[in-house]
Amino acid sequence: MEEYYLICQDSLEGIFTGIYDAYLKKKPHEQIHIIVGEEDNYRLFAIYEECIPDGKKATSVARTILREFGEESYLSICRALASCEADKGEAIYKAIVTGFGMRDRHQLMGNLRNPAVHRVFELARFTANEAHYHIEFLRFRELENGILYAEIGPKNNVITFIVPHFAGRFPLENFVIYDEIRDIYAMHPTKGDWYLVHGEEGMNQVEHILSEREKKYSELFCQFFHTIAIKERKNYRLQRNMLPLRYREYMTEFQEK
Amino acid sequence: MESNLIISSTEQMSLMEKLKILSDSAKFDVSCSSSGVGRRGDGTGIGNTSAAGICHSFGADGRCISLLKVLFTNECVYDCKYCINRKSNDVPRASFTPDEICELTIQFYRRNYIEGLFLSSGILNNPSYTMELIYEAVYKLRTLYRFQGYIHVKAIPGAEPEIVQRLGMLADRMSVNLELPTAEGLQKLAPNKHRRNILAPMRQIQQGIIQNKNELVAFRHAPSFVPAGQSTQVIVGATPETDYHIMTVAESLYKKFALKRVYYSAFVNVNEDKELPALPGGPPLLREHRLYQADWLLRFYGFEADELLSESKPNFNILLDPKADWALRHLELFPVEINRADYQMILRVPGIGVKSAQRIVRARRNGRLNFDDLKKIGVTLKRALYFITCNGKMMYPTKLEEDYITRNLISNKEKLPFDRDGMTYRQLSLFDDEQEVIWQQAING
Ligand code: SF4
Repeated sequence: MEEYYLICQDSLEGIFTGIYDAYLKKKPHEQIHIIVGEEDNYRLFAIYEECIPDGKKATSVARTILREFGEESYLSICRALASCEADKGEAIYKAIVTGFGMRDRHQLMGNLRNPAVHRVFELARFTANEAHYHIEFLRFRELENGILYAEIGPKNNVITFIVPHFAGRFPLENFVIYDEIRDIYAMHPTKGDWYLVHGEEGMNQVEHILSEREKKYSELFCQFFHTIAIKERKNYRLQRNMLPLRYREYMTEFQEK
Repeated sequence: MESNLIISSTEQMSLMEKLKILSDSAKFDVSCSSSGVGRRGDGTGIGNTSAAGICHSFGADGRCISLLKVLFTNECVYDCKYCINRKSNDVPRASFTPDEICELTIQFYRRNYIEGLFLSSGILNNPSYTMELIYEAVYKLRTLYRFQGYIHVKAIPGAEPEIVQRLGMLADRMSVNLELPTAEGLQKLAPNKHRRNILAPMRQIQQGIIQNKNELVAFRHAPSFVPAGQSTQVIVGATPETDYHIMTVAESLYKKFALKRVYYSAFVNVNEDKELPALPGGPPLLREHRLYQADWLLRFYGFEADELLSESKPNFNILLDPKADWALRHLELFPVEINRADYQMILRVPGIGVKSAQRIVRARRNGRLNFDDLKKIGVTLKRALYFITCNGKMMYPTKLEEDYITRNLISNKEKLPFDRDGMTYRQLSLFDDEQEVIWQQAING
């Protein structure tokens, strides 16, 4: 029995193209698999194919998902796509296959008995969780030119899930959020639409000198942060459960003075 | 405005010192929630609100920090025995100016430190005068600074209804603290406060909210009055009321005053007053925790206070959470069949939360569920297994017997004292907003 492995680029476009191509094969789905990025575990007797990302194919897959499975599923799938886990492409592909076999397709994400659907659910949950942590814990610092600047280091590619939140909140601010793991900058100009830029291009646009009053307000906040805790109720374990340690290196109130 | 007069005494004090004094004296107000209203900004200012609320940090006590929680002033003409700011205490006093409050709020907000402002105050001169000061600060923040984030203000008992009404048009949430569960307790520990004066503004706010809802139906753009609803706080352990008593009070506040939240605050003895219990073991945190768990059962699990406690069993079990405790006293209702039982009954199974129950009802439409599926769904099987069957079978052969199950439930240790912050927004958002529901599922598993 032939097994096909479709090697896809790690992006929405790449994985959706893979799913498109998988359907075109007209073979039983159990024999087709989607791999994201590099494969280091080649099997004998398997056929490996490289998928070239194709905007048109990806768009039609996206439209189909939205139409057939509804917004909830689409959102979960988008979140799963942002995951850092290697099996995400395969899980999404097989979840879609499962969905087409269901009577009420809009109930796809409720079908947690199915392993692929459950995996998509789980991956989406990791991403949503991490995105929400960033909405909570991200910290801006004010630069000399008035721009608000934040650095993040997320495991999953969450930046596009968090920028809209801040854009809605700070319409008049110039702000920049920098994902230092992926080297991506999200730029939001005052009263304008936000956009992403990569690497150097972004770096050239951001200076790193803090404004004069930045020190004052960060110190005031640290004061507040320490005073507001009730010492009779000290509970560092609870604090750690609620605020995982890995976020603290980016947070003003946990910075060494 | 008159406020300039009172500031003169603290004028020389730095903003840092003021913030220290006025946040230190606000910290016992436990509510820090920023939930209850989802509102977009209009594009001309700064800020919006999220229905589920957002936490921005967690302090050394593990409590959520969501709002800039400060007093306008810690001067006070009252003498509540449990309060650090009471008139008879010799503590440093300070007052903010409205501009200082606005600047702090805006500058903290821009940096994503906070969701908004929680402004309370000691009583300067009299309740109406004090509320006027709060109003001035909040008015400035909303208009001059164009702040559209979350604002929670205290309504001070005894203030003119007119000003409560006016402030309610600017605030998202208002609260009047009940302080102590009974009128007698109040009389003993807060001699300047009266139950009647506390319930009157609560009723006024409730009615204001109802009336405003009608206006909003008629005119979609009518300004909203306290859109995130009202809350209150009860101090636990300063007076001798039982848990049953406290839960009955909470239940009637929910039912009769339509409160969004009742907060329970384990009494911390800051004044060592002879009228107050000494509490050598520290604040009654476990008791507070049980009250939050039970409160949760009232609001989201369809329980009544009378099912959980009674005159003859007036306090919660120290070793078991109220839901497990209830289930053990009603073994005749168990085990329930997961593939058939209705949602309300599934909700009552220990180890199954609201989200798991919802997922069960949804997932079983695609076929019968087994124990493996339940695990994936997020059911805590080691607690639930005594109370459920899947396709007619229990997970292990087990005795449906109170002592036996109790021993087993206690041995797989509850994460105490707090497996979850009893008072933050994280619990609040169950049904609020689609995206948040998904996120809630994510964190609670
Ligand atoms: S009114 Fe009572 S509780 Fe409030 S600040 Fe004054 S003394 Fe404290």
